[in-house]
Amino acid sequence: MKFRNFVKTEAIKVGLVSTEKEAVIRELIDNLVASGQLKKDQQENIVQAIMKREELGSTGIGRGIAVPHTKHPSVTEPVGTVGVSHTGVEFQSLDGEKVHLFFLLISPPDRPGDHLRALENISKQLQDEMFCRFLKQSKTAEDIQQVLEEADNA
Amino acid sequence: MPLIDSFVFVTSILLLLGIVSSKFSARLGMPVLVLFLALGMLAGSEGIGGIDFEDYKITYAIGTVALAIILFDGGLSTSMKTLQQSWLPAGSLATIGVLITAVITGLAAAWILHLPILQGLLLGSIVGSTDAAAVFSVLRAGGVHIRPRLANTLEIESGANDPMAIFLTIGLLEVVTGKMSLGFELLGLFVSQMGIGLAAGLLTGWAAVGITRKINLASSALYPILASAFGMLSFGLAAICGGSGFLSVYLTGIVIGNHRLVQLRNVIPFHNAVAWLAQIVMFIVLGLLSFPSRLLAVVTPGLAIAAILIFVSRPVAVLLSVWWGKFTGKELVFLSWVGLKGAMPITLATFPLMAGIAEADEIFDVVFFVVLVSAVLQGWSLPWIARRLGVAIPLRPKPPVTLELSSLQEVEGDIVDYFVDRDCRASGKLIRDLALPENVVVALIVHEQQIKLPQGSTRIEPGDHVIVVLRPSVRKLVDRLFCRSTDVATDSSQEFLVEFPIRATVTIQEFEQLYDLHLSGPAEMTLAQWIKQRLAPTKPSLGKFVIHDLVSLRITQLTEDGEISQIAICFIPID
Repeated sequence: MKFRNFVKTEAIKVGLVSTEKEAVIRELIDNLVASGQLKKDQQENIVQAIMKREELGSTGIGRGIAVPHTKHPSVTEPVGTVGVSHTGVEFQSLDGEKVHLFFLLISPPDRPGDHLRALENISKQLQDEMFCRFLKQSKTAEDIQQVLEEADNA
Repeated sequence: MPLIDSFVFVTSILLLLGIVSSKFSARLGMPVLVLFLALGMLAGSEGIGGIDFEDYKITYAIGTVALAIILFDGGLSTSMKTLQQSWLPAGSLATIGVLITAVITGLAAAWILHLPILQGLLLGSIVGSTDAAAVFSVLRAGGVHIRPRLANTLEIESGANDPMAIFLTIGLLEVVTGKMSLGFELLGLFVSQMGIGLAAGLLTGWAAVGITRKINLASSALYPILASAFGMLSFGLAAICGGSGFLSVYLTGIVIGNHRLVQLRNVIPFHNAVAWLAQIVMFIVLGLLSFPSRLLAVVTPGLAIAAILIFVSRPVAVLLSVWWGKFTGKELVFLSWVGLKGAMPITLATFPLMAGIAEADEIFDVVFFVVLVSAVLQGWSLPWIARRLGVAIPLRPKPPVTLELSSLQEVEGDIVDYFVDRDCRASGKLIRDLALPENVVVALIVHEQQIKLPQGSTRIEPGDHVIVVLRPSVRKLVDRLFCRSTDVATDSSQEFLVEFPIRATVTIQEFEQLYDLHLSGPAEMTLAQWIKQRLAPTKPSLGKFVIHDLVSLRITQLTEDGEISQIAICFIPID
C-alpha cells in the first residue's frame, strides 16, 4: 500500500512542539482531527488505543524514528500522517535516542490486511537511510509530501 | 602486406590502446571520449601514428551507425519506471531545451565568428545535444550517485535529445543550401521526422517482441543478433520513410528492453559491448579526422563559444524548460552544469562538410574544440560540483557477494550462492547457529575444489560458497545473515531492517488483535512460548526467528536462564 493511499497530506506537520510521548501522539492526532480525517469525539479514545500498543513495546524503532499505530473502529480506511520534530521526543526507543520522525497510522479493524500492508510499506521505505534523512531535514509539509511521492513512484 | 592485413593489424592496435586508455579515464576523472579522441589524434596524420585519414563520407557513415547502436543500447537499458518518472522534464529539455541552447549559442557564434546568422544557428544546433554516456561515465568514475529523479531526467534527456539536434542540423542545412525555406517547410520536416520516427520505432519494437516470443531459435546466441537486426530495421525503416532513424531506434530499444523476454536475457550485455565498441571506433575515427594544428587556430573563438554555451545557453535552456519541474535551485544548477557534449556534435559537424557549404571547415574545427572544452572542463569538475551542491548521495552498501540462478519459468524459489569472506557475518559459525528462517535450506557448500555436504554442525569458513535454496520473500533476511559485519555496525548509509519491539509476554490473542494475523495457538499462550514451540527442537537463542505469514518474529533479548524476554516484529516486503 503506497503512502498516497493513507497519508493525509493536510495533516502532515513539520515542527512538532511536544517533547513527551503521549503529548506528541496527541499532537499528531490533533492534526488529523483538524484536517477532518478523524472525529473530534473519538480523539481521546484513539490516543489511548495507541498508548496501549506502546505499552506492549515502544514503536520507537531507533535512528530517531517512531511508528505509533493502532486499529480503531472510528475510521473506514487507513489514515496516516507524518510529523517531524526538530527538538526530538523522548519515546523509550530501542536505541534510547530521541525521536525526530513520526509515522502515525490508524487502520479500520474490519479490513484485515490493509494495516499490515501499510506497515510493510512504511518499514520498507524506512530501511532507506536517504529517505529518512530527507524527511528529517524537511522544512515544510510540501517537502515531505514530495519525498513520499518519490518513494511511491520509485 | 595486403591492404586488409595491415588494416586488421592497425585496427587491433588502436582498439587495444583504446581499451587500455579507458582504464585511465577513472583515474583522471575525464570522460573516456576525450581519451579516445586523443588517441585518434595521436594516431593521425599530425601525430606519431601518421595515419592519413580525411574521408568525411566514411566518418559520417561510421558516426551514424555508431550513434544508432549507442542509442539502441541506451533504449534497451531504459526502464519504463525511469521513463514514467521523468519523461516530462526530460522531454522538455530534449526539445525546447535543445532549441533554446541552439539559438543562443548560434547567435553568439555568428557574432563571434562573423558568420551569417543561419550558419551560426547551424553551429548552435550541432552543439545542442548533451551526451548521456559522457555524463554517466564521469559520475560513475567519480563515485558520485545522484538522486534518482535527477539521474533519470538526465538519462532520458540525453537519449531523447539527439533526434532533435539532428533534425535542427539537417533542417538548417537544407535551408542554408537553399533546398528549403524557414517556416512551414521546416515545421513540416519536424513533424514528419518525429512522427514517422515515433511510429516506426514503436511498431518495430512491438513486432520484435511478438516475433521473439514465437520464433524459438535453435541457438540462444542468435537472439541478441535478432534484436540487433530489429534495431537496424527500425532505423532503416524510419529513415527510408523520411522519419528520424535515431528516434526510431531509441524507441525500439525501449520497447524491447522493457518486455524482459526470457530469450532476451543476453541482449543487454551484448549490446553494451557493441556500444562500447561503437564508441571506441567512432571517437578514434573522429580523432583521426581532426587536425590538432587547425584546432589551435580556433582557440580564442572556440573558448568564447564554449563559455557562452556552458554559462549562458545551457543554464537559460534548463531554466526555461524545467522551471516548473519541482527541482530545487541546486538541482537546476547541477542540470545546467551537466550539459556535457559528446559524440553527437562531432558527428553532426561532418554533415556541413558533406553538404559542401563554405564555412564547413571552420564549423567542424570550432565544434570539435567546443566538445573538447566541454568534456574536459565539465567532465573533470562534475563529481566535485555534485558534492558541492549536495545533490550527490552516498553509495548504498554492497550486498553480500552473490550469484543467483533464477529459473526460466515462474517458480516460487531461488538458488543463491553467497560467497563468504572474512568480514561476512556468517563466517566461523555453525549452520545450526545461523538463525536461518523457515523456507530456507543450505543445499551445498563449496570450498575451492571441495564440496562440503552441509549439516547442522558444519562450520562456515571464509572462502566458502554457500549455496542456499530459499523463497524470494525471505531473501532480504538471509542476505542480512551473510552481509559484512562491518556494514551493520558502522556504516551510516546502510539499509536497516526495520523492526518493531514487542514484549515476549504479549499473548497470542493480543497479538492477533493487533495485527490480524492468525498464529494458530491457544489464546492465552505468550509469544515467547509460541516461538519456543515453533523453534523446537532447536533452543531459542538471540537472533533466531520464525516467519509466519507476512511477519517475522525475532528474538532480541533472553533472560539469564534462557527465556525469551523481548521480540521484534518485522513486516516482510511482499515484492
